[in-house]
Amino acid sequence: MKTLVYSDSQDIAAQLVAKFSQFGEVTLLVSSGNVDKLKKYGPTSIISFEGPENPDALANIARTAAEKGQHEMIAIGSTTVGRDMAGILAGMIGADVMAEIVDIRNDGGKIVTRRFFLGGKTVLEEETTSKIFTVSPGIAEPAEKAGSPPIEHLGLAASSVSVIEVIPKMASSEDIEKASVIVSVGRGIGSKEGIEKIRPLAEALNGVIAGSRPVCLDYQWLSEEKQVGLSGKKVRPKVYLALGISGQIQHIAGMRGSKMVVAVNKDKSAPIFEEADYGLVGDLYQIVPKLLEALKA
Amino acid sequence: MPYQIVVLIKQMPDLELIKPDPSTGEPNVKSVPLRFETLSKHATEAAVRLKEKYGGKVTGICLGTETAGQVMKEAFAMGVDEGIVITGYQGSNPRYTARILAEKIKSIPHDVVVLGNQSADSYTGMIPGMISSMLGVPLLGNALSIELSDGSAQVLRVMEDRNEKIQSKLPAVISVTQEINEPRLPPVMQILAAGRKPIKTEKAEPGKSYTAIRSNKAPKSERKKQIFEDPVKGIPEVVKALKEAIR
Repeated sequence: MKTLVYSDSQDIAAQLVAKFSQFGEVTLLVSSGNVDKLKKYGPTSIISFEGPENPDALANIARTAAEKGQHEMIAIGSTTVGRDMAGILAGMIGADVMAEIVDIRNDGGKIVTRRFFLGGKTVLEEETTSKIFTVSPGIAEPAEKAGSPPIEHLGLAASSVSVIEVIPKMASSEDIEKASVIVSVGRGIGSKEGIEKIRPLAEALNGVIAGSRPVCLDYQWLSEEKQVGLSGKKVRPKVYLALGISGQIQHIAGMRGSKMVVAVNKDKSAPIFEEADYGLVGDLYQIVPKLLEALKA
Repeated sequence: MPYQIVVLIKQMPDLELIKPDPSTGEPNVKSVPLRFETLSKHATEAAVRLKEKYGGKVTGICLGTETAGQVMKEAFAMGVDEGIVITGYQGSNPRYTARILAEKIKSIPHDVVVLGNQSADSYTGMIPGMISSMLGVPLLGNALSIELSDGSAQVLRVMEDRNEKIQSKLPAVISVTQEINEPRLPPVMQILAAGRKPIKTEKAEPGKSYTAIRSNKAPKSERKKQIFEDPVKGIPEVVKALKEAIR
């Protein structure tokens, strides 16, 4: 089966090329500025374009490319732009979408996908005849492949939406999706100042600090790209240390892939303990210094 | 200029009450009451605030079950002026949902269509784009703020690595993030008045399914669950495991 893949995130685009190569030829649709960074991941062919990556213009170019290349599947990275693009494309060509998949496989000629459902409480495994897929970050490890795929250029149609201003977000050098140890804080941390108190522990473990949705979005004690959860980053570190996180299902869906989970919470009935390998019940401000001391011993 | 504002409202099972069956892992969805879906509550608040700021009328459309009237009454209490409930489609193919909604929207005046970006339960994020292309109007997606001015809308679009101020002509579809506002808790008088307001109920044709569900289960937790109520006892054990894991 032949797949057209696209994501405005280079990381996800590389993952899509790796994953969908399992099913056959992969055409990568990519902004011309990113061709050089992505061609090393070995797509069968490349279609490049120039211009702002707005969802409606992208849906148009994906339709043209898929018609020309007779692609049977279109895989789009699940980002703000990717979801809107997929929806517009589906409405435009009258095709179904299987959204937010975390896994896809060919099971005896049937395409079987997995995705979270009911806010992350369950995992749906479905057989689908959808043509379009939106794909959660982390579906595969990108791998470099030798070769020089042919590159074709297509024009990008005008968008019905104009971008007036781009407002950069505070970029951080730490990428929690790539960290092997994450110290994650929840509402139980109490204040922004509390984060500084747990930083020495994160440093001792050579880890990065992340947080739950309230900490990152509601109180903004941490920046948005540090949010672990269904609506944030989905992480799979070796160690996930959850401090003052109650363990709402929204959060669990983002850290379920962690290898070892340690939870500290003062409420012994907190749901996080159901998802932990080790749990310590008590005040995190008393436990963290003791953990640090014992780690250094 | 008064605006014709349409807000799309969804029902969802109360996720707090959903428990997987301990032996099968299957969720007890059918026995859980339906409530106002989180993101569409934020969309309703955004729609009512647009009306309060610029003038106009808000029409709520809910594709739901026979109990959707209850959710619509809540929307009335928040400031929605008219309500349409469409029943008959219980499937979960976003393209059918979008088509039924788009057909209804086409039949009524609309300058702005407001909805949530990704519902809290099924979480596909497909409805905004689908409705925008089915109506043939621009989509201003993932809005953190909305402004309207003569025939156009401006929103702050939240993206992964940056935000963008984007603009389009009206009519437009605007999807909102959960952080756009804090939905109001309507006063008692408004709730009482809302109960007497008429709701139009219509029936949609059920569409056929595009997928076969193989399973819908809570993932099995294979964690060790060694929980120490006395941290002093637990710390040495935890530190040993931590040292092992990061070696």
